[in-house]
Amino acid sequence: MRKTLTAISLIALLPAGVALADDDYEKTARGQSQSRDAVMQLARENGWTVREIEMEDGRYEIEGRDREGRKIEAKLDPVTLRVLKMEHDVEEDDDDYGASTRNPAPAGTVAPPQNGLFGNGAPPKVQVN
Amino acid sequence: MKSLLATLALSTALTLPGLASARPVTLTTTLSNYGGDGAYLALYVTDASGAYAGSLWMAGGKSKYYEHLSDWYRATGGDPAQINGITGASVGAGRTLEITLDLADALFDAGYTLHIDAAVEDMRDSPNEVAIPLTTDGVGKPVAGRRYVASFAYDM
Repeated sequence: MRKTLTAISLIALLPAGVALADDDYEKTARGQSQSRDAVMQLARENGWTVREIEMEDGRYEIEGRDREGRKIEAKLDPVTLRVLKMEHDVEEDDDDYGASTRNPAPAGTVAPPQNGLFGNGAPPKVQVN
Repeated sequence: MKSLLATLALSTALTLPGLASARPVTLTTTLSNYGGDGAYLALYVTDASGAYAGSLWMAGGKSKYYEHLSDWYRATGGDPAQINGITGASVGAGRTLEITLDLADALFDAGYTLHIDAAVEDMRDSPNEVAIPLTTDGVGKPVAGRRYVASFAYDM
């Protein structure tokens, strides 16, 4: 009886384990990103002070400073959070840490510039295929 | 004061009549599969003398990279006011950017040229990737870029 129960338990457990493994594999294969909280956790572990996290070109991009206070820009694989690229002493986007240039206002937030090129002043309609 | 206003009104009327009318134009930029990150693209216009006339679109929102769009940057000093409200995301390799806008009639057949500067991280910058005269004859005729743009065309 005991052997039978053990056997049933094992049979019941095996497919579940296999299913879990498959699920994990599929998530990875689909490239399901980890959360920004996970990125922040990684940053804390590395001693980085984070100023900005964003997803760009399918990768997490972190701007901030390392534990020595140097400006950094790190690019992370969104699935594994492996650091793909790390730059030090990069120019920052705005003046949180000093003088630098500002980013332009994205389309849709302000009217296009009045440069005489846009006939009716309406913003362009844009799509990427 | 009145004469000054009258002069201003007259000069404006003489300068801008062509710009008052416009036509919808679609700018289609298809990137090649160059195997790198998303491309920053500056689409802008120069007049018959080659002087910068204005920008039509900026693909890529981080100003720190604009110096790599070197012809556009030289003309504008990277001034964000030139591209406020006409800036979007960078464009991935192999993707097609389609921009539809009302373009002033006066830009056609008057010596104006549409330029695209392109830049990709860790790859060579490509100022003047595309330079195509704005003419009614050129409508719907694709041209190839030098490095990253597989084809560019404007249609009405």
